Amino acid sequence: MSKVLGIFLGILTAIGGFVDIGDLVTNAVVGSRFGLSLAWVLPIGVIGIIVFAQMSGRVAAISGRATFEIIRERLGPGLSLANLGASFFINLLTLTAEVGGIALAMQLASGIEPLLWMPVAAFAVWLVLWRVGFEVMENVVGLLGLCLVAFAVAVFLLKPDWGALVQSAVPKVPQSEHPSTYWYYAVALFGAAMTPYEVFFFSSGAREEHWSKKDLGESRANVFVGFPLGGLLSLSIAVCATLVMLPRGIQVESLSQVAMPVAQAGGTVLLIIVILGMVAATFGAALETCLSSGYTIAQYFGWPWGKFRKPAQASRFHLVMIVSLLIGLGVLATGVDPVQVTEFSVVFSALALPLTYLPILLVANDPEYMGEDVNGKGTNAIGLIYLAIIVVASVAAIPLMIVSGMGA
Amino acid sequence: MTDSSHELPRDTSVRGRVLDARLHLLDRQIVDPDEVPLATVDDLELDGVEPGDRPDPDAPVRVRALLSGPLLMTRIFGGRVRRDRQDEVPWRDVSDLDAVVHVVKPADEYEASWTERWVRERIIARIPGGRHAPE
Repeated sequence: MSKVLGIFLGILTAIGGFVDIGDLVTNAVVGSRFGLSLAWVLPIGVIGIIVFAQMSGRVAAISGRATFEIIRERLGPGLSLANLGASFFINLLTLTAEVGGIALAMQLASGIEPLLWMPVAAFAVWLVLWRVGFEVMENVVGLLGLCLVAFAVAVFLLKPDWGALVQSAVPKVPQSEHPSTYWYYAVALFGAAMTPYEVFFFSSGAREEHWSKKDLGESRANVFVGFPLGGLLSLSIAVCATLVMLPRGIQVESLSQVAMPVAQAGGTVLLIIVILGMVAATFGAALETCLSSGYTIAQYFGWPWGKFRKPAQASRFHLVMIVSLLIGLGVLATGVDPVQVTEFSVVFSALALPLTYLPILLVANDPEYMGEDVNGKGTNAIGLIYLAIIVVASVAAIPLMIVSGMGA
Repeated sequence: MTDSSHELPRDTSVRGRVLDARLHLLDRQIVDPDEVPLATVDDLELDGVEPGDRPDPDAPVRVRALLSGPLLMTRIFGGRVRRDRQDEVPWRDVSDLDAVVHVVKPADEYEASWTERWVRERIIARIPGGRHAPE
């Protein structure tokens, strides 16, 4: 495969892989309740995940060490065990939400109860993790995830008043909403854009694909071009909800309502495409979160891990993934609404961000691991600004959740 | 540890390199000659000093073995582990130290990998496809 084609493919995969159940639900809910008055959070989240992903990929490629090995070396066994516990719990919550999301998307496609789809979805996720190679897995789900472009197409088909739309995109608490609710959703949107599992996934993925220093240019192209375009997909989900749901006073509470504007704008064909995109996006994210749960635990304890090994050569890693999927399935089997699990997962993601972000920032500045490739002044300046934002979002997450009654 | 001046001096004399056991050994990944992870260094077995005693300057303290296993939990939460439940990697097996600790024998030959082998033989290898690489 030629280099240009490889970069192009990488960018497409990054766009398609950007959106997960958290982005789908949160953007639609926010659009239907706040219009575009929270749109300013998206670029902040997108730049954050670019900085975050880029730094963790660079650390993995240059030091040859994955994130959680380093977290343990730097923080010591006790503090890093606490970090592992929190990260693993949130990862599990996100995995549960994604598997539920696959089931909901399949329900849209088939009309069959999500409870019946959940075991099928979990089994399919496991089968891919068990048998499909890393790069094939990444490329297929990423490319299918591109179907979510249907949201952007729908925006154009809805023929909005562009001037009014742009004018509405200013930070302002709508009169019908309490300020705590507004800020609660700001934190949720930020958490959805920057979910912590992505850092484990990026740094370990770099090892899965045996990156070295020379692969960093390609990864930079994927991240710097792919993620902003992925962010535009997120934005178009919010715009769709703003155009169709907000004027009618309908609050998005289910995945079918997320897709409704697309059906209204583009009919059955566009709806089918968007459902395919939703299945791919949630499926891809379920794979990534499930892998991340295996990565973090295996790296903390020093076990063999990775899809580049035979499952028998990384047996405990595969066992952790199987158990994680079973736990997620067990939670879903209680009949809990996956959309609610999603809302919890994005807020707890915001809460846990400093746990992963701070160690990465420290190690990226440590010459023992990075040699002469430590962070430059510019990266560190942005990194510190983001550290401040992340800490504020993390500290504010739980109080806002309580005061706003989970955004009620 | 962001400043390179904190790095311990690299001693190239016959006496070898100066290492900080806490910094360069504890919580480091141990890998075998094929780069297969074996375990993380959870603790060290030292010869020539008893717990609570000050080391005697005339009789040097030696690292006898790298330890891993249930010991990790007692290191965090306190308490003791029975001698026979500690998984040791003898110090003489260590061939090199850089960002990781290199040992000379394949990972499967060490006691420290018994859980990996147990899970492999009892569970993972019994599931169809478990012994084949993903495609």
